[in-house]
Amino acid sequence: MMLMTINSVLIPHRVSNGGGLRALSTNSVRLCEKKNESVTANQDEETKTDAEADPKETKTLVTQEADEDSKVIKMAEQSEEPLVSKADDGGSTTQQHQVDVTTEQDVVTPEKVETDAAMSGKESLLSLLGAMKVDVTSKRKPKIVKVKQSEFTPMSRPPAMESTISMFQQATAEASSQSEKLDPELVAAASAAASTLPNSSQAESQLLKQLRQHEAVTEAQKKGDVTKDLGLIIADMKIGKHSNRQNARPSNQIRFDEDGQGYTHDRGITSELDSVRRKNLFSGKRLNIFAPRPTLWDMDFAHQLSEVTNQMPRNGLEEMIQWTKEGKMWQYPINNEIGLEEEASVSFHEHIFLEKHLAEGFPQKGPVRHFMELVVGGLSKNPYLTVQQKKEHISWFRDYFHQKEEVLKEADASN
Amino acid sequence: MLIWMWIFHSGYLRDYLSVCVMLFPFSLQDTTAYPYQFQDDPYLSPRTSVEFKLFSLSQESGRSAAKYFINNYPKFFTKDFAEPHIPCLMPETVSLCLEEVSEEALKERISLRKVTAAADMYDQLLQAGTEVSLETTHDLLDLICLYGDRDPVQDGEPETEDMEESGEEPKKRKGRVRRASDIIKSTWKQNNNAERIFNLLPERDTHCYSALIRGTVLHGAYEKAFSLYTDMQNNRLSADIHIFNALIAAAPEVRDKYQEKWDVINDLLKQMSQQKVQPNLMTFNCVLKALRRCGSLGKSQALQTLSEMKALQIAPSLASYSHILAIFYKPASAGQGNTDVLQEVIAELAGTSFTCQDPDDVLFFINAMRICLDNKDLELGYQIQSLVEVGENWRLLGDSFQQSVYYGRFFNLLCLMEHIDVVFKWYRRLIPSVYYPNPQGLRDLLQALDTDNRLDLLPTIWKDICTLGHDNKSDLVEELLALMARDGHSHEVQESFAACALDIKRVYDENRGKPSLEWSNSSLSHVASLLLRANKTQHAWDVLQLFKAKNRVPHEELLGEFLSACHRDGSPQKAVELVHLSTAFCLSATPNLAKRALAEFDLTEEQSYATWNDRGKHSSRISSE
Repeated sequence: MMLMTINSVLIPHRVSNGGGLRALSTNSVRLCEKKNESVTANQDEETKTDAEADPKETKTLVTQEADEDSKVIKMAEQSEEPLVSKADDGGSTTQQHQVDVTTEQDVVTPEKVETDAAMSGKESLLSLLGAMKVDVTSKRKPKIVKVKQSEFTPMSRPPAMESTISMFQQATAEASSQSEKLDPELVAAASAAASTLPNSSQAESQLLKQLRQHEAVTEAQKKGDVTKDLGLIIADMKIGKHSNRQNARPSNQIRFDEDGQGYTHDRGITSELDSVRRKNLFSGKRLNIFAPRPTLWDMDFAHQLSEVTNQMPRNGLEEMIQWTKEGKMWQYPINNEIGLEEEASVSFHEHIFLEKHLAEGFPQKGPVRHFMELVVGGLSKNPYLTVQQKKEHISWFRDYFHQKEEVLKEADASN
Repeated sequence: MLIWMWIFHSGYLRDYLSVCVMLFPFSLQDTTAYPYQFQDDPYLSPRTSVEFKLFSLSQESGRSAAKYFINNYPKFFTKDFAEPHIPCLMPETVSLCLEEVSEEALKERISLRKVTAAADMYDQLLQAGTEVSLETTHDLLDLICLYGDRDPVQDGEPETEDMEESGEEPKKRKGRVRRASDIIKSTWKQNNNAERIFNLLPERDTHCYSALIRGTVLHGAYEKAFSLYTDMQNNRLSADIHIFNALIAAAPEVRDKYQEKWDVINDLLKQMSQQKVQPNLMTFNCVLKALRRCGSLGKSQALQTLSEMKALQIAPSLASYSHILAIFYKPASAGQGNTDVLQEVIAELAGTSFTCQDPDDVLFFINAMRICLDNKDLELGYQIQSLVEVGENWRLLGDSFQQSVYYGRFFNLLCLMEHIDVVFKWYRRLIPSVYYPNPQGLRDLLQALDTDNRLDLLPTIWKDICTLGHDNKSDLVEELLALMARDGHSHEVQESFAACALDIKRVYDENRGKPSLEWSNSSLSHVASLLLRANKTQHAWDVLQLFKAKNRVPHEELLGEFLSACHRDGSPQKAVELVHLSTAFCLSATPNLAKRALAEFDLTEEQSYATWNDRGKHSSRISSE
């Protein structure tokens, strides 16, 4: 839902209504039929474009909810793909394939749709997943998260096919009870992505764990130990801010909105100026090569000078000046970005348009892609993380899915 | 405050600090208030400079205690509520974290100023064959030389026994005087860690020599400093500015004769120019300070030094002028009556705002005011005071003790030279916001009142004396009483004097048993006569009884006054009692008193007999003696 709002603002009406309506009607029917079952939702719009590219694909299911907006993302990402008549195709796929429906609030777990073919592969994946450690953000993990993690050890239940439904129900219940704060839709997407893996419940729990960690970091930073974390991050920050800039300019986005031709990759002087413009000529850091290092003698001399003079404040104003200099008081006029100086040079679009980070290392389509787009959508709305943290978060998933590439391929879900 | 809010919100001034600084005209000192730091707690309103010191020290030690606790028990202070983070409220690291032998650990010990631990770590590194970088070696030498190879007393570290044994003055105690003695006390030991490490170095550069020379000068090994300098010259190293400054400061210590001292300094300055070392303010301040100990040579050379500074465009600081004044006005030869130099200096400085550049800067005002007082130059005194009021210059008055000395001198000068109304204007302005007068200051004020015939103000001064806590100083109180009792005044004034005298009597009674305030003969007489003059006869009789109780003898004039009072009241009984009393005191005036009593009063048979008897007793006692 979150994703839909932002994307619909950007590119409002990409999908023609016919297919959508039809799908919708189907959905309502299905909803009536299957409301007691746990239903699957591993269908994405990627699979739809997938279907478009490869019509023989029969495995894909469509989730009506995610349809519109995520397709739009798709278009934004891969403008070179032909987009016309997509909606019609989508409509047809909806008819062709089995359609499972989720209500918005329900958590939907994937139905096992894979064949049993790669059972040995699944076993290996099981061990892989069991051994996997989630340590990307461990250094700033609050204690609450640790407790949750220990509760949330991967289930040892074997991937028995006959009890899938009950198992998924349990997993869903577990997931929702343990992480009530997680957006149900995200959970759904996680399970969708996980369902492509052989041992889907474990994979899902891994993904959810990462999401929850994300949540916990956000909470912690929202509550105010942001600076400590920021301090840690700044300490080992090494961002090349210019690296992705040509894709990141909002003007490009707007241009894209207007003509629908995709990125023009305009690397003209404006994009160069963009990076320079907001900085004063002398506000940058110096090289610090010729800076004289204050010796102990200098410090002692300064200390002596401050000792001999009378430093007592004479009135309240002087005291307030002193406190302001010591940092004990707010600087006036009130500036709610104080303490976020390192973020001041980061423009808002780097916070919001994170899709560019999906360009590398993620499949162009498929459930993984859909999952990641939801993650990115969530991140773009999160004001409590720095851009660097967001990038780290995405790159954790990149590594994760990269490690699981084999398994994904075996499960035939990578594309 | 309203104006402040308005300017603030109008948005013309965006920078908070500039707003505050700009508003200083609106926030002038409230001269009726105690200093700002005591306004939180009305109980802590200092009345004397002693109390001022006590209260500010207790405030400061409370802060230190809190700081100590926070720094030593950081585990209790992990919550950081503030956003953005406020570093100065969080615990500092005061203990060593790195235990292994490494250069990092050495750096940590240096930054925490653990002198002995750092030296040990360096030795261990050398033994392990690890190369220590040049920068760290420099830092280590700096550290050992600054503290003279002794661990400094860390802020917030509890005092321990061995520290006092080692004769080290705890730095924690405030006060510059102690700090200076701390430095004098500490001596440079032969072959201490600094020298040892220095000798072990394969290559010694200027920085190493600089650290050692500054350390030796700071800790009193002046000869050693000069021999190090010679050593350095032999190694064809060029010296830096700090070496020259330290050596110039040490120069008066290594020679005895005035001319030789100056020659050493002159040589050093010439070498500086040869080695193309640019002198700074501290160089010239050291020269001027050294010239104070060059006797008659000082005056001529000091002026030349000042001209040299001007040519090099180095603005003299207050310390430079303070040294100049000290050279031209020796405290011993007070009253030269010549304030030309001071006048020139003040004319040069008028209206300038200073920042502290030299620890000696704070001595300027106090010295300048002393010269004004010695020469009784009121005009110059006013000029100095107006210079203090410029900008932040008042901060350069130094600590509370120096500040009270300065204002004491200024007030003394005012009392001596100024009309009493103006004195009172300053009196109201300085007390109690910046100045707590001592008994001497108040006595000066009393004399000024006497000179200008404003003795009617004495009762208000007495109230101030009580407020300032000097009501237990017997000589001050007695002087006040003497002034009040000396002359007769109008009826209203006498009434107020009598009330004041009663108040003083109350204070004496309350203080009973304490040795500080004892009834003396004169004070009792003064109180009694003041009461008599205001027709408070009954109170006066009470005082007369006190003479007996305190074994004091009243004056004859006082008894005469009493007799007149009895006559005025028409009470012959009292007159007879008075004669009795006089007899009991064996006063030589008894016969005269008795005669007067018989003549002036209508005495009954019995009374006149008793009076005669008293007179006879007295005569017989005289004859028997």
